[in-house]
Amino acid sequence: MEKTIGNTNRIQTKNSLSLRLRLVFIFIILILTVAFAITIFLVMRKERRENVLHESESVLVGLSDSIYSDIQRYKELSRLVMIEDRLVKFLRADTDEVNNVLINSARRGILSVLNVTTMVDSVFIFRNDGQYFATNRGKYMLNYIRMEQKDWMEKIINKKGRAIFCINADDAIYKTNGGPIITISRAIHDVVTQERTGIMCMNISSTFLEQKVITLHNDDIVVIDTTGAFLAGNEELIDYFDEDFTTENLVHVEKMVDNNDVVISGMKIPEMPIVIMSVTHVRKGMVPMETIGILAFLMLVFVAAVFFVGAFITRNITSPVFELTKHMEKNRENGTLEKIDVNIPDNELKLLEDSYNNMVDHVNDLFEDLIEKEQTIQKAEMRVLQEQMKPHFLYNSLETIGYLAMDAGADKVHSALETLGGFYRNFLSKGDREIPLKREIMIIKDYLSLQKLRYGDIINDEYDIAPNTEECKIPKLILQPLVENSIYHGIRMKGEQGTIKITSFLEEDELHIIVRDTGIGMTQEQIDKVLSTEKTDASDDMGGSFGLWGTIERVRCYCDKDDVVRIRSDIGEYTEIEFILDAHTNIFKGVNDDRKIDGKAS
Amino acid sequence: MYRVMLIDDEESARKLMRASINWESLNMEVVGEAASGIEAINVIDDMKPDIAFVDISMPFMNGIEFTEVATKRYPNLIIIIMTALDQFEYARKCVSLPVFEYMLKPMVRSEITEVLERVKKRLDDRRSDNEDGAFENELSGDMESSSVEQIKKYIENNYTDSKLNLTSVAQHFGFSASYLSRKFKQETGKNFVEYLTECRMNAAMKLAHTGMKMFNASSEVGIPDPNYFGRCFKKFAGISYSDYVASNHNS
Repeated sequence: MEKTIGNTNRIQTKNSLSLRLRLVFIFIILILTVAFAITIFLVMRKERRENVLHESESVLVGLSDSIYSDIQRYKELSRLVMIEDRLVKFLRADTDEVNNVLINSARRGILSVLNVTTMVDSVFIFRNDGQYFATNRGKYMLNYIRMEQKDWMEKIINKKGRAIFCINADDAIYKTNGGPIITISRAIHDVVTQERTGIMCMNISSTFLEQKVITLHNDDIVVIDTTGAFLAGNEELIDYFDEDFTTENLVHVEKMVDNNDVVISGMKIPEMPIVIMSVTHVRKGMVPMETIGILAFLMLVFVAAVFFVGAFITRNITSPVFELTKHMEKNRENGTLEKIDVNIPDNELKLLEDSYNNMVDHVNDLFEDLIEKEQTIQKAEMRVLQEQMKPHFLYNSLETIGYLAMDAGADKVHSALETLGGFYRNFLSKGDREIPLKREIMIIKDYLSLQKLRYGDIINDEYDIAPNTEECKIPKLILQPLVENSIYHGIRMKGEQGTIKITSFLEEDELHIIVRDTGIGMTQEQIDKVLSTEKTDASDDMGGSFGLWGTIERVRCYCDKDDVVRIRSDIGEYTEIEFILDAHTNIFKGVNDDRKIDGKAS
Repeated sequence: MYRVMLIDDEESARKLMRASINWESLNMEVVGEAASGIEAINVIDDMKPDIAFVDISMPFMNGIEFTEVATKRYPNLIIIIMTALDQFEYARKCVSLPVFEYMLKPMVRSEITEVLERVKKRLDDRRSDNEDGAFENELSGDMESSSVEQIKKYIENNYTDSKLNLTSVAQHFGFSASYLSRKFKQETGKNFVEYLTECRMNAAMKLAHTGMKMFNASSEVGIPDPNYFGRCFKKFAGISYSDYVASNHNS
């Protein structure tokens, strides 16, 4: 389909445009993909962290609540122990009244209260006079030094009977086989006298905490006291302990541990010197499938949208533009200006097509106008010419002079004037473009008889006109220039008498007209020049033969083909010019019809 | 009387001009005509015109070519170019030529008379300034009889040059034309032009024996105008060239 270089270029330009469009789309999709990937990554990270925080929060708060409420329960229990009758009796007894019976009775009394639960490891009861007993004697060690310190006692007494929580009874009581204990201490007041009668330390084993942690099935939890000492859970995690966690609010700290993003959450259990911590690896967090799913869906929708836009552009812009240019190109190649009808959507491009068609119309109109104008000008010029010639004036003058001549006895002058008048009448012939052959012959006869007057008897003329050719229409004045050429470039150059013979006949629907003179003849080079269809060839140094060339061109133009003439010659002997025309009288189209304006010219 | 020569291929035009102008009142006379530039070159030395009317469109040698030759050989010759409208622009291109006037055909008597009056004034002025006429010679010299032989030789060698004439030969040898003409006649008993024509006609007769066409023979012998050639031949041989060819062919 690439016929010309220009064509190829145009197609390449088209391709590069759609190629660029495609590249832009690919680029957009790429950008979108990257953007979605980044978004998904960020969202997932945030989601995961929030998940982690949420999870550890719920774990820790739950654990904290659970421990708190359990210990509250133990606190209530300690209140029940405090008012147990046998213990009250023990406490009310005077110093000297205290004996083993009393002590055992009180111990049993306490145990009866504690029966309900197993986690209370032991209860220590100290009387004001320093006598004391424990429910689990032997397994404990008392730090008397600590107990005698003023602040130890004051801390308990200042609470005026309310419970305080501490670890290992504020360093006063240790379990001999290790393991920390949680101590609920309170001062005991007599119900009746409201006087302080002693101090109670209820010790709860840390196994209780261990059990709480185990029920969570979570390895990443550790329970410690406010000093950072281990109480329960995963002991390895106590390294993460920080003073920040000793508040009752949940605190999250993010850290990088071994290239892993970890979140350390921690909180203090209210009223108690116990801190719980959890360490969570963010990685381990769940992938938020739902979010990713939604994002992926959105992205798919977006990509689909881009493809749709691409297809839309192709269908509504690129393809119609291709179609349009294809049709316009066709017009250009054909060299015609036809309206185009492209099957494209009814949008702005249709407007383009419409305006192209309008332009075509306009250009064609201009052409028509131009041609019409040209015709008008031609007609006007013809009229002006005729006006200038004033045939009437010419004929009248000729007649007047003819009469004068005849009156003076100059018959020769009269007949010459008659011939001249006849010549001009036929020559002008109402401005017709075509005349019958016999009319042209009349012109030639008059022309030759006038020329004979000038050149004496060196010219003879003969005619052999077939009767059936007489009415054949031929373009006006195609023979006269040939005859003129015969005289001036043939016979006169020879310096001898010469003969001009006109022959015409019909053969196979073709009209042959031959003008033969016995002049000096033409060289092949001259013939080639006269027959040349190139004006540049012809007009140069052709000299007098230009009229002959012009006449041949004119006949070619009328017949709309180049092969209309034959020239035969023998140097010094003769020249014979033969026109071969279509015998149909209607073949000679007007000059205007020859121009292909609307492509309808046959 | 000033001498006028009419050079026009149209015989009736020459005749009309000769008849329609009152030459005597202008102190002029028409001394000769020529139907082509070739003929004019051959006869101009005999006619010795002061004024030449030259038609532009003539066959064989047109008016411009002739004017170019003539202005070189006859610098004092007054040339009036005559041209039809369709050749006027062509004529104008040759304005560099020292031409007295360009006139459009068909010419009207009053216009011709007007121009001729100006020409007359120019010639009168020139005469009162004691200038030479176109054919009055200033060159003179003694000529040996051997020079005439040289000249005859020169003619025999150069007669095919269509522009050869008395003046060009005289200029070639450095004599004045009238002196050469006189001397030539003295020595040979023949007119220069007669001798030149004789040379050419003899050559033409030889060509005629070969059956050569007249228009070819005429340009072969230096008279490329076959009409003038034909007249010369008939005058020389008594019969026309074609008859001469035919009679030779028959015998």
